[in-house]
Amino acid sequence: MMIELIPTAFLYIAAALILPLLPQTRARGALLLLVPLLAAWQVWMLPEGIYARTEFFGLNLELMRVDKLSRVFALIFCLAAFLGNLYAWHVNDRVQQVAALVYAGSAIGAVFAGDLMTLFFYWEGTAIASVFLIWARRTEGAYHTGMRYLIIQVGSGVILLAGAALYWRETGSMTFETMTLGSPATWLIFLSFGIKCAFPLLHNWLQDSYPAATVTGTVILSAFTTKLAVYALARGFAGTEILIYIGAIMTLFPIFFAEIENDLRRVLAYSLNNQLGFMVVGIGVGTEMALNGTVSHAFAHILYKALLFMSVGAVLYRTGTSKASELGGLYRTMPKTALFCLVGAASISAFPLFSGFVTKSLILDATASQHYPIIWGVLVFASAGVLSHSGIKIPFFTFFYHDSGLRPKEAPAHMLWAMGITAALCITIGIYPDPLYALLPYEVVFHPYTIGHVAGQLQLLFFALLAFGVLMRTGIHPPEIRAVNLDFDWIYRRALPRLIAWLAVVVTRLWHAHSAFWQRRMLGIYQRLYASHGPEGRMAQVWPTGSMVLWIAVLLGVTLVVSFLKF
Amino acid sequence: MNAKNEDTSSYSPLSRLFGLVDRPGAANRIFWGLAVFCGLLFLADFTYEKHGHFAVENIPGFFGFYGFVMFTALILAAKLLRVLIRRPEDYYGNKAIDSESYPERGLDRATHDD
Repeated sequence: MMIELIPTAFLYIAAALILPLLPQTRARGALLLLVPLLAAWQVWMLPEGIYARTEFFGLNLELMRVDKLSRVFALIFCLAAFLGNLYAWHVNDRVQQVAALVYAGSAIGAVFAGDLMTLFFYWEGTAIASVFLIWARRTEGAYHTGMRYLIIQVGSGVILLAGAALYWRETGSMTFETMTLGSPATWLIFLSFGIKCAFPLLHNWLQDSYPAATVTGTVILSAFTTKLAVYALARGFAGTEILIYIGAIMTLFPIFFAEIENDLRRVLAYSLNNQLGFMVVGIGVGTEMALNGTVSHAFAHILYKALLFMSVGAVLYRTGTSKASELGGLYRTMPKTALFCLVGAASISAFPLFSGFVTKSLILDATASQHYPIIWGVLVFASAGVLSHSGIKIPFFTFFYHDSGLRPKEAPAHMLWAMGITAALCITIGIYPDPLYALLPYEVVFHPYTIGHVAGQLQLLFFALLAFGVLMRTGIHPPEIRAVNLDFDWIYRRALPRLIAWLAVVVTRLWHAHSAFWQRRMLGIYQRLYASHGPEGRMAQVWPTGSMVLWIAVLLGVTLVVSFLKF
Repeated sequence: MNAKNEDTSSYSPLSRLFGLVDRPGAANRIFWGLAVFCGLLFLADFTYEKHGHFAVENIPGFFGFYGFVMFTALILAAKLLRVLIRRPEDYYGNKAIDSESYPERGLDRATHDD
């Protein structure tokens, strides 16, 4: 079995090298579908263990650490790559195709990395490959957005490298395993993971860049970077209590922004941030049940989030816009896309029988059983918030509500297939979660379908829907309007550049004032010298010998005074 | 486009099914149907024994009440937030994609009749 010896990431990267040489679009599309399937089969067949050890400048690298945690993430990454590439079947842009392969391969390589150095290489690989999915839009705005994204993503990698180097000095080991926060090394690694995981105040790259990518690029972006960070946190910092609070804030603040955001792909980016919060809370709680919750939620989330991005992407592809204010009533001519969007919306809102329900309730239950009442209350509130922007806003304002007058053609067949398969998976996981539970790192002793869980969740969701109905009927619900909303990125996109520009003006003025002052002083000295030594000056009226005698008289006088003072 | 006199015969059965919610008075019926369903869900809480982790979970209708109140609070807070942070679409100028249109070569615009 040769394939066991090849790290999974190399399959993707080898395919990325071959792909540009294939002249036919269809052949490239087929390769893009074949590679994830082959990789998934390899991951599925590999027994647990460490493969592909190698040495690099005296460091022992482990390229393939297969255990239950890394395997489930690698599998869902392969699945996401397959679905994303199917959705992108029509794309004839080699840049995007190569980027998609290298990106997915790097994410899988990072998941299998047994040491921090390998992790760093693939970590940067995801950053560099993924930015091309943004630049592939080929507009000025996308160029600048991609630059901001790249600076932050590469920055995260550099911080990881610094942390890894300190960690190596501290422990003499590069193995990537559970760490305890405390030393500068672990804090740096934690920060690096936190940037990629979109922790509060480190989050804006996500909402800034995902709406700027191409129609298909956003679907692919949504799967990997942030879930790689979730994996890294689960591997390195499970049970770190601060993550509970970070995660709770993450579930909370994006729901307010998502509510008033007009660009639906940015709404989904905020919603993605909120879903990451649930996973981070699970990692912070750190019990077997909580970690199972995090991993299963990441798995389900990748699918329904991709589905939602696909449906909004299909609308963008057919109408040229993804802004809620411009859309509405599209169910008439895009009913299948609408149906798949509703499945994604029900899944993310965690309606019973849909995937979000069987995974999120694990996290909620684990949080409650560890006695975090306030955190639990925040998570339940955030669940209602998810319903509001992803469950209601996305499908309702796109496919129903006011008729925008747009009558776009239904999405192309390959997009419908991608959405259809993803939707089927969302429902299958929701109805029959046992196969997903079997993939999780620990044994699952949890039954989502008890009457208490189902009744409680239905109450939460339907009363929230009722509240939506009341707010719509009373006209209180905020309308969709064309606008941008400021977020923390205002600090580095607007305030800091303005501050620097202002400082530049101040410094320039100070410099001018300073040099003008000295110029005046020097001028004064010149003028006085001119007055005494110039052609009209006193010194010019006597012979040089006369002036010499004067100076000698001065010198003698000084000597006399000095001698007098000395004795 | 005039939605009322529109020829819907070319639309799929699925779209006509969705169209049921767009018929006159449907929104009202859905709303009141939802209200009745919520009432039933509340009553259902008395029919089984609850085993929540926290005492509040055992109050009948807790999740419904919490969902309704928090959803409303969320919307009101978001409206307030909009007043503070809303800016024109071209606020970030050519440094962002907000005010530029999606390039046509990446799209396949088509209408239903095409």
